[in-house]
Amino acid sequence: MSQLRRALAISCKDIESYYGKPPLITWGLMFPAVLILSLYVKDPATYLAIAPGIIAMTLLFGNTSMAAIVITFEKRAGTFQRLLLAPLSMRTIILGKAASASVYGLATALALWLGLKLVLGMPLVSPLLFLAGFILGAGCFSLLGLTAAVMVREVFEAMTLMNFFRFPILFISGVFLPLSQLPAWLKPLAYASPLTYVVELLHLGVTGHSEFATPMIPLLAILLFLLGSWLLAEAMFRRRAYT
Amino acid sequence: MESILAIAVSGLSKNYGSLEALSEVSFSVRRGEIFAYLGPNGAGKTTTIRILSGLLKRDAGEVSICGADVASDPVFVKERIGVVPDESNLYPELTCRRNLEYMGELYGLPRARRKSQAEELLSFFDLNGRATTPFGALSKGLKRRLTIAAALMHDPEVVFLDEPTSGLDVPSARALRELIRTINHQGATVFLTTHNLHEAEALSQRVLILIKGRVATLGTPGEIRQRVQNLNLLSVTFSAGIEAAPLLEACPAVLQASPQNGAWRLEVTEAQAALEQLLAFAGGEGVRISEINTITASLEDAFMSFLKEGEAKTEATP
Repeated sequence: MSQLRRALAISCKDIESYYGKPPLITWGLMFPAVLILSLYVKDPATYLAIAPGIIAMTLLFGNTSMAAIVITFEKRAGTFQRLLLAPLSMRTIILGKAASASVYGLATALALWLGLKLVLGMPLVSPLLFLAGFILGAGCFSLLGLTAAVMVREVFEAMTLMNFFRFPILFISGVFLPLSQLPAWLKPLAYASPLTYVVELLHLGVTGHSEFATPMIPLLAILLFLLGSWLLAEAMFRRRAYT
Repeated sequence: MESILAIAVSGLSKNYGSLEALSEVSFSVRRGEIFAYLGPNGAGKTTTIRILSGLLKRDAGEVSICGADVASDPVFVKERIGVVPDESNLYPELTCRRNLEYMGELYGLPRARRKSQAEELLSFFDLNGRATTPFGALSKGLKRRLTIAAALMHDPEVVFLDEPTSGLDVPSARALRELIRTINHQGATVFLTTHNLHEAEALSQRVLILIKGRVATLGTPGEIRQRVQNLNLLSVTFSAGIEAAPLLEACPAVLQASPQNGAWRLEVTEAQAALEQLLAFAGGEGVRISEINTITASLEDAFMSFLKEGEAKTEATP
């Protein structure tokens, strides 16, 4: 309990220090909003096929970037050492950092959805699945960002490392092209991407339609990815946090 | 029963690849003591602090802090120690007060205690007027003070201070030394690393000199000075100015000559032979020796002597 309270303190401090800054909020909101609006202007009848994917993409870029920026910035400034000197378990540090990045991702994506709902009347068929997609995706992507950040020293190194992963999965995870339209040889790769399941959960939330037979498949898959990301982050933090 | 030892280190070794940073280092620090850990740059001081505070894994040896091993029980040990790194590293965007309160949160202090402790420390370190100033906007000396205050938020039993006065102006350094004494009087054990020998001599009860990762000597400043009493030091004043080079050339018994407060401070192999050579040199130069005294070795002289000895041993090692 005491360690959980300390994780919460880390999260609150990070939100206070980094996530409430106007450039971050506008970047996280304006970029996807403009993309979705331009799709809507082009064809109001079909923008819903892509909007959930764009929101998932915001979640992916926002969370991985922010988690990575915060860690590399604190490593450079020496403030990350304060966490290592304090009586905190490695899990507490990871939880505190991932939770604040997740809150940022959640807040921007929810604000985006709310804006689209008010301006374009975007529907929400299943709020629970929509929220599950957000929360699990935000957690998974934050942990991947933390993992990349702890392996390097500079922000640009973390971004380069993550871009090798983020850009390719954009094209295979159903953001712009439904899974059913992907070439057969790409489908196994699509199933190996956590973004695929976040996109599907958001699709289910917004339109009620999915490429999967049951919502349990993307739900369980993203849960497994979340667990895998946590184990990976923990292993990397134990090996690299002190270097 | 609580041990009288705050820190016990035995056979501590650490290598960075082929570089031996620490080799078989052993020492202990009593509760309530100010213990100075001296060494030239690269001697292994910061490596030792990093190992003792749980930031770095050791290769061999045993380390006990407040009765526990930081490697096997890091949370227990970290709750009992406060660390002031060589660089002041609080959060630049947070105010002084918020920095202290956040440290209190990380150490699990209840809200009321966090607030009162932060106010007390701001007052103790004379930072009341800066409570709402961001850490990043403080001067170097004030940053150092707040970093020490942050390390004291949870009332640690042992405080590690890595080069606490490095880079500070004289008044700030002096004020900080007074604060270190007060912290110690209030009950904390202080482990101080420094290469400022006057500071070590003024503050500490015992001193360890570390040379190239090995313990060169350990004892009170007085004991350490005693160990180099075979070091012959003379203070010589000539009636007129002379140069070091001809003096060293004319007097083979003089190993080193350095000007000090209008006199020459000479390290000699044997006082009698040096005296004869100096008189001959003065006569040849047409000057008089107006004053000559023997000097008691200071901690700095002892340190230099151990440093030379350590370097000679390293060179002799194949």
